Amino acid sequence: MRDIIAVDISGRHRTSKGHYYIVCAAVSLSVSPDHIEKIHQVNTKAFRMYRPLKVLDVVHIIERTVSNIKREGVIVTEKGDMYNKPLSFVSSRFKDEFKYQESISERLAVQLAHHISLSSRKLLIQELEKI
Amino acid sequence: MKKAVLVQRNEPESEEYRNSSRLQELKELAESAGYLVIDEITQTKNPDRNYQIGRGKTDELSWIVAETGADKIIFYNQLSIMQIYNISQTCRCETIDKFHLILEIFATKAKTKRAKYQVELAKLHYELPKAKTIVSLLKKKERPGFMGLGSYEDSYEKDIKNRISRLRNELGRMQKDYDNLRTSRHKKGFSIVALAGYTNAGKSTLFSEMVDENVEVENRLFTTLSPTTRSFQVNGRKLLLTDTVGFIEDLPHWLIDAFKSTLDEIFLADVILLVVDVSEPIEIIKKKLIACHDTLWEQIEDAPIITVLNKVDRISEEDLDCRISEIEYLTPNPIIISASEGTGIETLKKKVFSYLPVWKRKDVQLPISDSGMSIASWLFDEGIVHNIKYTDRIIVDVEARDEVINKAKAVERKLNAYGHSEDQL
Ligand SMILES: Nc1nc2c(ncn2[C@@H]2O[C@H](COP(=O)(O)OP(=O)(O)O)[C@@H](O)[C@H]2O)c(=O)[nH]1
Ligand SMILES: [Mg+2]
Repeated sequence: MRDIIAVDISGRHRTSKGHYYIVCAAVSLSVSPDHIEKIHQVNTKAFRMYRPLKVLDVVHIIERTVSNIKREGVIVTEKGDMYNKPLSFVSSRFKDEFKYQESISERLAVQLAHHISLSSRKLLIQELEKI
Repeated sequence: MKKAVLVQRNEPESEEYRNSSRLQELKELAESAGYLVIDEITQTKNPDRNYQIGRGKTDELSWIVAETGADKIIFYNQLSIMQIYNISQTCRCETIDKFHLILEIFATKAKTKRAKYQVELAKLHYELPKAKTIVSLLKKKERPGFMGLGSYEDSYEKDIKNRISRLRNELGRMQKDYDNLRTSRHKKGFSIVALAGYTNAGKSTLFSEMVDENVEVENRLFTTLSPTTRSFQVNGRKLLLTDTVGFIEDLPHWLIDAFKSTLDEIFLADVILLVVDVSEPIEIIKKKLIACHDTLWEQIEDAPIITVLNKVDRISEEDLDCRISEIEYLTPNPIIISASEGTGIETLKKKVFSYLPVWKRKDVQLPISDSGMSIASWLFDEGIVHNIKYTDRIIVDVEARDEVINKAKAVERKLNAYGHSEDQL
């Protein structure tokens, strides 16, 4: 079993107000090659941006979100979240260990993070519209 | 059997190892499509616009064809319509490329309606650029004022595009029918084990090593399964093992969906054996494993995966240990075997057994009568009969899945309540 932190970001599209509400979700888990064995912690964080995200912004957002996770673990994302940049380019920009999803369990974990970031963002937008 | 000559043009300065493994893969593919490969020729040079390989090499090819009476020329490299035309003319032999060959294989493997549509769609994608070329070639020759031909040929391309969009719509509406298939098979009491992995990993070798010889599976029960399904037994449990097309290297995106639709058997399986050639360079092993996980992860549901590390006879023990630890995170339940030398097969079978649903073991008491006999013989078919005693009744010590035991118990009560009277049943 290995410990990983699966991360996903939602909200790269501009809102009607002209800016970007971004929600990042980080999930700390223990995984075997094909199963999620345990989910230790989830952390979500919202960001507001006035311009489209660049790779370095994404790195920053992920690092801020992961900093609240107590357990150590390799950060895992989908390649698309990093604009399909090569692994060496992206991982050298992280302070922590970083990799793209490879195994079945890593893909399941990123899928989980994706659902969390998506639903959190939906909730956030709904609440903001009430104001 | 149709005879085929394989042709491969290699890029200058490409790795020899990769090239020969690609040619080996092409050979495997040709064989699984039912061709007898009678010759292989390769050439290292930049592509020729008209012939793909050099003109001189094409002449050499035409001599081989004439001498051997080959029915088909199969190129590793993708061919343009011009190249296909020129080569077929020069060699007087039908010429296809690897993608065409893959489509042929998929077409024979496509069992469900959905799979057939996917293959048809891929075929149209393959033809589309060729249709464009034909149209533009004809247009060049077209005389001004000669309107009829132009509009007719344009409609050829349009026709393909229409069929593509119609198929896409149909496919979108089609539901996957896995659930039905799975339930009906479980009713029959079989567990299915499927072989997955890249071409050349050793799936077919392992297949023949595992299955019980001379035992044909009753096909009518499993019309959805490929003919490459045979039964085998572990600790008395009957299992079906099914071989698959296998993953193919560097599949273009337009072939991926058709490919996935040929994997239905894998997604229906109770246990998946992911076969890996562990003697390949570590980077290639990793790349292939990642591609397998990518294809499998969304659809396997809860079927356990056993990773079969094959061809251990080709590497040293230290080398093996080193590889195993490097790929550990990608290899659920690793089992080390050599399919060709037959080592590790028993361990593998035991591992498969450990993942089968647990069966109950009970004594069933039946009257000595026609009904009692027929239930007993049904128990022989459905489960493992550990012991059978004939006293004033038939006592069967049987191990089977829940439904079978429950049904037998119900029949036991009913038969015993009615005593030995037959006609009331
Ligand atoms: N050295 C060695 N060769 C093997 C082993 N298993 C299979 N092969 C060879 O690998 C090649 C491909 O095997 P095959 O079963 O056709 O692979 P498939 O494409 O996955 O079905 C054949 O030449 C086999 O003889 C093994 O355990 N050791
Ligand atoms: Mg095979």
